[in-house]
Amino acid sequence: MARTRFASALAFATGFLLSAAGAYAQDVIKIGVITDRVGSGKFYAEPVTRGIELGAKMINEKGGVLGKKIQLIIEDDQNKPDVSAAKARKLVDDGVIVIMSNTGSPATQQAQTVSLETKTPHLTPANSADTLTTQLDNPWFFQTGPLASIQLATLMTYTKSRGFKKVAIVRDNSALSQSFAESFRKGLDGVGIETAVEEVIPQGTTSAVANLQKVRAAKVDAILQAGILGPEMLQFFRAYQQLGMKEPILGSYNLSIPAYLTMAKDLMEGVVFVDAYDETKPEAKAFRDIYVKEYKEEPSSLPAYGWDGIHLVAQAIEKAGSLDKEKVRAAIAATTGFSGAIGAKGSSWGFRNGGRSGFDPQGAVVRLIKNNQHGPVVHSGQK
Amino acid sequence: MRALLWLASIIAASLLAFMLGGYATDVYRKMLVWIALALSYNFLFGVAGQIAFSQFAFAGVGAYGVVILAHKLGLPFGVALAGAIALCSLLAFIVAVPSTRLEGFYLALATLAFAQLFLVVVNEGGDLTGGTGGIAGYRLPDVFGYTLRGPWYTVVLVLLVALTLHILLRLERSSFGRACRAIKDNPAVAAAMGIDVRRTKVITFTLTSTLAGLAGAAYAYVDNVINPPVFGLDNIFLLLFMIIVGGMGRPAGAMLGAVLLYLAPFVLEPIVGHAYLVLFGVLVVLAILFQPKGLIGLIDRLVDRLGPEQRA
Amino acid sequence: MDDFLELTVSAMASGCIYGLMALAYLIVLRPTSIINFAIGEWSATGAFVGVGMLSTLAWPRFEGPYILAIVAVVVVLGLLGWAVERLTVRPLIRRGAAVTSPILALLGVLVIFRESLTLIYGADPLPSPPPFGFKRIEIGAFAGASQQFFIIAVTLSLFALVWLFFERTVWGRAFEAVALNRRAAALMGINLGRVTALAFAGGAAVAGLAGLLMSPMTSAHYMMGLPLAIQGFTALVIGGVGRVEGALLGGLILAFVEQLGARYLPIPSGLTLAFPFALLILFLLLRPTGLIAPREAR
Repeated sequence: MARTRFASALAFATGFLLSAAGAYAQDVIKIGVITDRVGSGKFYAEPVTRGIELGAKMINEKGGVLGKKIQLIIEDDQNKPDVSAAKARKLVDDGVIVIMSNTGSPATQQAQTVSLETKTPHLTPANSADTLTTQLDNPWFFQTGPLASIQLATLMTYTKSRGFKKVAIVRDNSALSQSFAESFRKGLDGVGIETAVEEVIPQGTTSAVANLQKVRAAKVDAILQAGILGPEMLQFFRAYQQLGMKEPILGSYNLSIPAYLTMAKDLMEGVVFVDAYDETKPEAKAFRDIYVKEYKEEPSSLPAYGWDGIHLVAQAIEKAGSLDKEKVRAAIAATTGFSGAIGAKGSSWGFRNGGRSGFDPQGAVVRLIKNNQHGPVVHSGQK
Repeated sequence: MRALLWLASIIAASLLAFMLGGYATDVYRKMLVWIALALSYNFLFGVAGQIAFSQFAFAGVGAYGVVILAHKLGLPFGVALAGAIALCSLLAFIVAVPSTRLEGFYLALATLAFAQLFLVVVNEGGDLTGGTGGIAGYRLPDVFGYTLRGPWYTVVLVLLVALTLHILLRLERSSFGRACRAIKDNPAVAAAMGIDVRRTKVITFTLTSTLAGLAGAAYAYVDNVINPPVFGLDNIFLLLFMIIVGGMGRPAGAMLGAVLLYLAPFVLEPIVGHAYLVLFGVLVVLAILFQPKGLIGLIDRLVDRLGPEQRA
Repeated sequence: MDDFLELTVSAMASGCIYGLMALAYLIVLRPTSIINFAIGEWSATGAFVGVGMLSTLAWPRFEGPYILAIVAVVVVLGLLGWAVERLTVRPLIRRGAAVTSPILALLGVLVIFRESLTLIYGADPLPSPPPFGFKRIEIGAFAGASQQFFIIAVTLSLFALVWLFFERTVWGRAFEAVALNRRAAALMGINLGRVTALAFAGGAAVAGLAGLLMSPMTSAHYMMGLPLAIQGFTALVIGGVGRVEGALLGGLILAFVEQLGARYLPIPSGLTLAFPFALLILFLLLRPTGLIAPREAR
């Protein structure tokens, strides 16, 4: 008793509370969300989180899961890996059944050490790095974001269909961009397309002219754009325009972030990019209508990831029939044929053959940017 | 008496590890690493007056060093740890010899350049450093058959802080520490007093950077993950602010600053969001303007007023 | 060859930006010996103030003439620089604190500015309208974007003005006198406080202009300050802290090394990021006075 009081006093003095949450005796279902409201991951983390919030709200309006309402506990990790792990602990202490990670891949990676140790189901609805499910053998972790390798393969089939033989990769020096470029390079090797040159536009640069001159001099058939930092990619498009280049630009799914469209207005006409969203898909339409009604604006594809993610989690809990974390984990792992707003028409999510990365290999699409808007799908899947 | 006090503090700090919940433990551990870093940085910056921005880079060398040597190259853990620390000392020495010639803020910028170079190397290091994704999926090997997991690893961190504090206190009270302070106050006078200014500066930089490397190596096993963002530039400002707010040149001040500024975001962030950083900036400016001795100076004054008889 | 001429324009423009940042350091550093690392954030502030003036933030749907943005940046940043000097630097100088004290206080100011920018404008980059669009312009054999030529023209005029100020006006002479010997200058009746205040106001205005000029290329965003501060400092170290023309020279050298290296050296592109840092270390260690030595006391 005295010991407990001593400990509480200490904990109080240092400003954080002891874990006291019982995970089972609750009348709500707590689901933890790790987002980034202020840091470098805000551009993609916040829209995804919004989709989760909207999804949870809709699920609750329809009566919740197992007769209980979903309660989201949202924590901000500022896209810092060490903070992300700490916040994951906090969520576990708060008694969440599932953690959803929406920020950068390094942060999600470090948070995984917590889900592994505390045996908590952990899902990233939008992270795309292939290494998330390979670097750690963590049976509690699942990924439904479009793997860089799948994006790439889709882009590759499109590239091949256009007859490109020699391409350039342009990226920046951020973590995500580097991992995009790496899987691009590997994939290109695999299908026998030559990477003539790889250019890095570093953060804080004042001109990308030198980089694009090298690309121009390499006389490539197309440019694979793997950058994710807005200001640096703006420089890319500016230099491209300034040098009067005409090579087709093929982008990663990061170009589906709407902020680029206003930032690089009029510069991205005709650019194609990989996405996992087809507005003409019925599920996507349904999602869009609800989203527009709620937020009075057109959604990009990002909130749809969160929307699907929370629905997948809810479905798994329903199927598990209990809030036991192991049962929920097993139910998530057994998910097959989940059809959501994300993914090409006819594709679905599922964890096949014990895999923990559930994005449909045929689920990615290639879209065209037209009139400063994300335009129609011009290619779908890897066929 | 003094030894007893040390022992009691170590035991109390270790006991805490067994009582805290998951989240609190996690925060506590990372805070201990910050305290260790703040202590060595305090000696470098607060006592010896060198403003360097390379503290986290050296922590990174320690962390990456031990993980690469032990888990990528498969060396025995003890050898790997010793190797990582030796690498830290060597690199620190190489950086120190030319750059301690620089005055004031020029040293800061030279070490900043070194820190940036380190990040470039780690980010572009391919399979060896794991690139931007870092390295994960390793575990602290058993030491003499003991498995240091859970709260016991927290005890290791407590011992790390105690060891760092002990070394630095000994050093500070020695003639070497006095030489450091003399150089900080006035290098010309110090030289006239017969102090070898360059040598003292190089030793200080090498030693504190090595201690940073040790803290980094310990950090590598907190989450069993390392990646580049942690060793980036954002954190070095925070470390500097911890010392300024806590009290430059005082180990107790450094510890106080580290605890407060590390914990503050966890408390403030839900209330004021990112604005807490503005608050930190204001705090630093106010401290320099009105309370150059930092919070610890404030506490001293308070103690003086409350019970002057207690102070020898 | 065409490539080289194109690159010359691009490197000139980048070098001008670096030069302006170096100049902003120099204006403060000469009379006060204070390295003001906060100028990076001041340039970001300049970009935001200018963009705010030009686009929807200040008055919805209003597209002001560009000169308005320039004036606003100079005035607002000048006032901010002056206020920072008054509030943080002057009390420290008056108290006779060590020269590192104001430098550290200014690091606090740096954080205050950067985080305030994100609080006010959000973390999303803001597009910044250029005064003359983004047309490709060819002047003889030199080709570049109109904004690059605009940067070069404004920078050269500004350097000419500052040079004239230091060489030809009484105030400029006073600056130089303070730089050479504070005490003697004070004895000569020069108002040290006023010189310091003016130095901060001028440095902030120059930094703000650099940010405004750069922003159409990168957008205005809260992360733009730190890289500019480092690039400017590198330029300053290369050119030497003594003379106005050294800042410009240092900036140009840095930009040319960076961009020619990235274009023509046969090394992986990722490693070219290390150039500026390597250059900075090299110069700090081998030639700490920079290329152009300060004028000797006469």
